[in-house]
Amino acid sequence: MKEELDLKTIKDAAHRLLFDMSEEEFLTLQSEFKVTLKQMKVLGEIEGIDEVAPMTFPIETKITYLREDVAEEPLSNEEVLSNVKEKQSGQIKLPKVVL
Amino acid sequence: MNNVIYEATIGLEIHVETKSNSKMFSSAPNVYGKKPNTSVLPIDLGMPGTLPTVNKKAVENAIKLSNALHMEIDHTLYFDRKNYFYSDLPKGYQITQNERPIGKNGYLLVKLDGKEVRVDIERLHMEEDTCKQLHYTDFTLLDYNRAGVPLCEIVTLPCIHDAKVARLYVEKIREICVYLDVSDGKMEEGSLRCDVNISIAPKGSEQFGTKVEIKNLNSTANVEKAIAYEIERQKSLIENGEKVRQETRRFDESKMETVLMRVKTDAVDYKYFSEPNILPISLSDKFIEDTISSSYELADVKFERYTQEFKVSEYDALTLLKNRSLALLFDETVETCSYYDLLIHFINGDVLTYVSGMNAIFNLSAKHLGELINLVGEKKISNAQARDIFKQIVKSDESPIDIVKKNDISQISDEATLLTLINRLLDENPTAIQDFKNGKGRAASFLVGQIMKETKGKANPALASKLLNEELKKR
Amino acid sequence: MSYLDLDILSIHKALLEGKTKPSLLCKEALERVKKDTNNAFELVNEEEALRLALKLDEEEVPFDNVFYGIPYVLKDNYSTKGIKTTASSNILNDFVPLYDASVYKLLKEAKAVMVAKASMDELAMGGTGTTSHIGTTYNPYDPKHERMIGGSSSGSAASVSASIVPFAIGSDTGDSVRKPASYAGLVGFKPTWGLISRYGLFSYAPSLDTVAYFTRGVDDARLLLNLLVKHDLNDATSLDVTLEDDESKDEAKNITLLVFKDLDVNLKDEVTKNVYHNLLCKLKEQGITIKEVTFGHDLLAAIYPTYNVISFAEATSNNANLDGVKFGPRPEGKTYQEVMMNARTEGFSNLIKRRFVIGSYVLYKENQKTLFLRAKKVRRKIVERLNELLADADGFISLAAPSIAPKFFEATDKLSDAYVINDNYLAIANFSGGPSITLPIGLKDKMPFAVNVTAKTFDDLKLLRIAKVIEKTTGMKGLSYPEVNKYE
Repeated sequence: MKEELDLKTIKDAAHRLLFDMSEEEFLTLQSEFKVTLKQMKVLGEIEGIDEVAPMTFPIETKITYLREDVAEEPLSNEEVLSNVKEKQSGQIKLPKVVL
Repeated sequence: MNNVIYEATIGLEIHVETKSNSKMFSSAPNVYGKKPNTSVLPIDLGMPGTLPTVNKKAVENAIKLSNALHMEIDHTLYFDRKNYFYSDLPKGYQITQNERPIGKNGYLLVKLDGKEVRVDIERLHMEEDTCKQLHYTDFTLLDYNRAGVPLCEIVTLPCIHDAKVARLYVEKIREICVYLDVSDGKMEEGSLRCDVNISIAPKGSEQFGTKVEIKNLNSTANVEKAIAYEIERQKSLIENGEKVRQETRRFDESKMETVLMRVKTDAVDYKYFSEPNILPISLSDKFIEDTISSSYELADVKFERYTQEFKVSEYDALTLLKNRSLALLFDETVETCSYYDLLIHFINGDVLTYVSGMNAIFNLSAKHLGELINLVGEKKISNAQARDIFKQIVKSDESPIDIVKKNDISQISDEATLLTLINRLLDENPTAIQDFKNGKGRAASFLVGQIMKETKGKANPALASKLLNEELKKR
Repeated sequence: MSYLDLDILSIHKALLEGKTKPSLLCKEALERVKKDTNNAFELVNEEEALRLALKLDEEEVPFDNVFYGIPYVLKDNYSTKGIKTTASSNILNDFVPLYDASVYKLLKEAKAVMVAKASMDELAMGGTGTTSHIGTTYNPYDPKHERMIGGSSSGSAASVSASIVPFAIGSDTGDSVRKPASYAGLVGFKPTWGLISRYGLFSYAPSLDTVAYFTRGVDDARLLLNLLVKHDLNDATSLDVTLEDDESKDEAKNITLLVFKDLDVNLKDEVTKNVYHNLLCKLKEQGITIKEVTFGHDLLAAIYPTYNVISFAEATSNNANLDGVKFGPRPEGKTYQEVMMNARTEGFSNLIKRRFVIGSYVLYKENQKTLFLRAKKVRRKIVERLNELLADADGFISLAAPSIAPKFFEATDKLSDAYVINDNYLAIANFSGGPSITLPIGLKDKMPFAVNVTAKTFDDLKLLRIAKVIEKTTGMKGLSYPEVNKYE
């Protein structure tokens, strides 16, 4: 595991998430990464940590409920589009998506 | 160089949209062909705070499919997130089953030239569909009716080496979907979608060649054609000393060739992790058993039954099984009718023609069809009469027996009666006898026509023509 | 004096006795919302609240529904149909939800009156109350606006603390209710994960997110628990559990509370520490057993980074839906990627973005083993250790925060144990899912400070019973900013 990330990796990570930041913010993030990665490295030294099963849910129980297959009244087309800024013919409009 | 024999290695990923009233994780209606954005709930738009709930029917469909594909079925459901950004993905992630698919380690047998070929299936998992994009010249429109529709993804091992086997496999999957009634399996409407991974390497080589993906094939015929084309394309690249690129292609039907969509750079990292909004769901043994035992009969099982129990020919059985609703009609009709050959021929002939012509669901009761075929079997009416009556019973719910009574339809199968009539007609038509002797085939048909005319169509045509021939030879 | 300065039960009594009316309470609460000087609100729900309250006036106040006509404030990350909800983020500006969160629905059914939606740290990520898109939320106890109220449920805390409403709903992923409760002199209660439906709560990190709330006393916290705990089929993590507490109420006997030596060793503020230690002595006098144990320094220090890795990872995915296409501001763009990129670049503040990047990076295929999965393993280690210690005890107690609310520009040594451990250990209850409560025990420089008690999962009622003992001991029930007179 890397302990320090170069700016290129960090910028790429941001761009993959579809946003950009100022150069200054990237530098701040770089130092935050440094702390986090160092802390995580320390955690790797906890005895027998690799043998522990990852914990996803705080309450590790199984449920048995499956939703009955009954359709609910859907939203009206107006409701669906009520928060949409760019629309046409009852649909959301985007610049042409190139396949 | 030219002596090298190449072998293709093919893996298939099939997405099946399964039938249900509501969507996979959303209670919105699961419908096809509705006005855009009218079968949508907030979760289908990825609205904040919405949470997924797992549709029982979708799980049942997945269990039925897994069982039909001879898979091990997981008794606990786990879901994962597949994270990526795309214009058709409302939440920025898709809920799927990455770590623990509901079905694993299955197979299907397909018949190629009379030999059975095994296709190993690695996994079947449940997931949700994306929204539908309609592409115009300058823009794209998004319809979220499809967003959240239940999908089963069925993934084979890279174990297929033949384009035909691939096609047969897809056909088999489709047949299973249709017979289990878990999907309508329409490739042209996208309810069954097939992606192909294909590479070639010298036969016997330990290593796979570079994998090319072919996406969105819209018919089983195109699956075969695309693979066949792709094998040749890759071969000629290698033979010309070029390299096969890792890329995604699509099949252009008009040119009958695969064309480049995009070159794959680094594989996308989907950053899979366990879905934290759905606790593991325990499926009871009883639920799984009940689901399996309530599955509809598969075509293969019907085929065995038809050929073994009813002794119909393999050809007839296969013809019938191409259409599930007709097979179901057959199954229902044999409850009251045991003229199996007559029945299957009638369904494969008249009924099929009628259904295809109507291009719609028709209203024919198995009880009436059984009566009709029984009348034919008991030689009370002729095939031609049966055909006429059939046209009536699909339009009304009158019973064939009533129609026969009401219209005094019957068939003369009594030899003595027919012989008397034949000899009278022969006596009255000496020219016809002469023509017959001179080898004019028309003479016999003319005489049969006369018999039918005299009997108002009631003479058993087969018997009448047999007796006529015998009598003619005597003269 | 106003009825709004009292707790729920007292206001209910006044309503029953006809001393006030739902509409009067509502009008007064709305007045106070409008005069708010702490920047606590995203939206005033004036019309609807008044309409509802006036309707409630017409009916008789039911004696068995304490929430009837009680004004309250809802954090702006709960979906409210037809009422703008932004989670204090520009990326959700003007967003009007199409459905009601389950919590909001239950409160509506109980005829509680939502007078406003509270400002918060953007998308519930942050613990300072400074990252809302409408700016910093201030601490009513500090009219000079130098000290934090904490977050992320900053506006919710401020609204109860400033006597605007008797209770407010927040949400707690790491300590987002329990920390501000400490700084604002309130009871902050986070029940067991899975008891209260999260349906409609904008997800930050679902495996940690819990509906939590602020009240002026432990009894009110219990009333809300009774109302809100309900199995919800809309939430596939909602649990069907009936809470039980076999002991009679207010009984201090047979209670054992743990003190983690390696946690308390870092407490440096003499004033708050002394009050806390005095409290422990008094609790002992009442029959509560206080047992000192060692948790393990390394595991305590692990809580903070583990929390960061898990919560940022989940958050980066949960917020991938915010792309300007289906809702939220829609910027220009030549391609859909450009549209999304512009929406997200303009819509998120820098803190959020930095957290998303870290959260995304730890999920990379090549990093999962050493980062994301490792954090999930450490989470188990921590929870196992906690459960091991709590096996023979009923909960553990400590100061909820190292001291009173810090100043905005106070320098903290982010690598010190005091910060890494004591300022961040409350997330342990989100790891374990167990109930956890913060309640005030004293004032220093006119600023409140508090203890926190965390118990085993589903021991919510027992925890409230313990908290009640503490509340009686401190006599600090009904604490709110003393200068409420200025509203009158």
